[in-house]
Amino acid sequence: MSAIAALTIFIVAFIFIASEKVNKVKVVLIAAGLMAVTRLIPGSHVFFSEHEGIDWNVIFLLFGMMIIVGVVKQTGLFDYLGIWAAKKSRGRPYRLMVLLMAITAIASPILDNVTIIMLVVPVTIVVCNRLRIAAQPYIIAEVLASNIGGAATLIGDPPNMIIASRANLSFDDFLVHMTPIVVIVFIVFVISTRFLFRKSFDYNPEQVSAVMTLQEKRAITDVNLLIRCLVVLTGVIVAFCLHTVLHVEPSVVALVGAGVMVLVSGIDVEEVLDEVEWETLVFFMGLFVMVAGLGHTGVIEKIGTWAVDTIGQHYFGAASTLLFGSAALGAFFDNIPYAATMAPIVESLADQIHDDQATQGLWWAFALGADFGGNGTAIAASANVVALGLAARGGHKITFWQFTRYGIPVTILSVFIAWGYVYLRYFM
Amino acid sequence: MKAIDIAQPIPSITTGDSVTAAIHQMTEANLPGVVVVDADDRPLTVIPGTQVLKMAVLNAYHDDPALVRTIDEESADTFAHECNARSVGECLPAKLAKPATARSDATLLEVATIMLRGRSPLVAVVDKNKKLVGAVTLTALLGTMAPDAQPA
Repeated sequence: MSAIAALTIFIVAFIFIASEKVNKVKVVLIAAGLMAVTRLIPGSHVFFSEHEGIDWNVIFLLFGMMIIVGVVKQTGLFDYLGIWAAKKSRGRPYRLMVLLMAITAIASPILDNVTIIMLVVPVTIVVCNRLRIAAQPYIIAEVLASNIGGAATLIGDPPNMIIASRANLSFDDFLVHMTPIVVIVFIVFVISTRFLFRKSFDYNPEQVSAVMTLQEKRAITDVNLLIRCLVVLTGVIVAFCLHTVLHVEPSVVALVGAGVMVLVSGIDVEEVLDEVEWETLVFFMGLFVMVAGLGHTGVIEKIGTWAVDTIGQHYFGAASTLLFGSAALGAFFDNIPYAATMAPIVESLADQIHDDQATQGLWWAFALGADFGGNGTAIAASANVVALGLAARGGHKITFWQFTRYGIPVTILSVFIAWGYVYLRYFM
Repeated sequence: MKAIDIAQPIPSITTGDSVTAAIHQMTEANLPGVVVVDADDRPLTVIPGTQVLKMAVLNAYHDDPALVRTIDEESADTFAHECNARSVGECLPAKLAKPATARSDATLLEVATIMLRGRSPLVAVVDKNKKLVGAVTLTALLGTMAPDAQPA
């Protein structure tokens, strides 16, 4: 009976989140409250159970990274790079697109996708206005690049943080297992944009001078601040790489990094805290409680057992289903709640399979599907939604279908490449 | 004294008018904002001057001071040209704030509190049919508070 109640609350809440008609934070808070009040998940578990409650590792990892990103964005580095790219390209569309995608994809594994998009899209709009060309193709390409690049590391995409915490995967595990395939997918994606966007490549040589007058050096007013931030950021990345050796959780690395960043930057704490997306953190907390309700009432275990019975020894079939299923579902729902819901199910499944190689294959197939699915539609990932909002306000409106027309082929392409990778690496 | 006694007649702006038209109206009538009306001349919203300015600045610049610094002086002098073609309606938020309006028989205290609540230096004055008849500016209202003050 309690399992049915938990499942009902969860499904109703998920429908509301997916419909985007109601504020998603309100939805998860009400659903989480209902789960707790009806004792579907005990209050003590909500706060103090690592697997049946709020995953504080993910919350504080996000919190720490938000502060680090909040300081880095004040250096003007991305404005500098964006304008430098525009000048280097001399207004040639494909060259401009490749440079902007490269900046986005290289930054995405380190800083979160939403922030990268918020930094790169305004520069893109200004550059495209000056070149008198449509900004839409460039913005769409940047979003797709950020979602691909973000898949490379533990901190690059929120689904990875959730998966890492559940599967006990380290930062280095992501570097070893995800980065190689992300590099391959990104290269193929860059080549494919030549064809995907071929009809949108306008070139106005007479407008190039308008871009050349931009003064990128003025974007960085405090070089010392930039150097200090880059040094701390490098230290944080090194600490992430060594966190298993140091026996320190990624969340602790992010928190210490955030503290050091605030200290060396000299920026007011209040100003830095304004950069924290509290709404996102509360959404995650509510989401974890909702999923914990399913776990505590046995729903997750039942689904896991059913999945094991169904797949039998066909582990590659299971990994393929996870990869394609995650990409398909992740394309139509926000991939964060999807990953939070599926992670305990995959964990339950993995616990019942006594083959390390196959277990790894399942986890990475899940991560690749959830991450690459974020490119599927305009609503599949937060970065997509943010980019569409910025584009509309900047006078370069991108419709749902305009984005999706490019998103779906890129998702299909990347998921098929990932499928081959999963087979070759874990099941051959 | 009533609102109508210190109100000045103002030309109205509709959502279809350009941002440039709104700026012209403000500068010509020396107003601290504009009143946007519907087809029946009823106020939809009152936009303070800073918000009109916001409409004239490309959105990409709003939260990115580093990007703003990269714009050369010549282009910066003509920043509003990038938003010339946009209409007031395109720039307004989807959910409009309740317009700062006062009935023509409202007292000055009522007008003052409407200005404070709406944080607007301009209050639209409407008749009993809620049609726009004029507007009270912050300067006009302050003028009633110190009627004998001589300008320096």
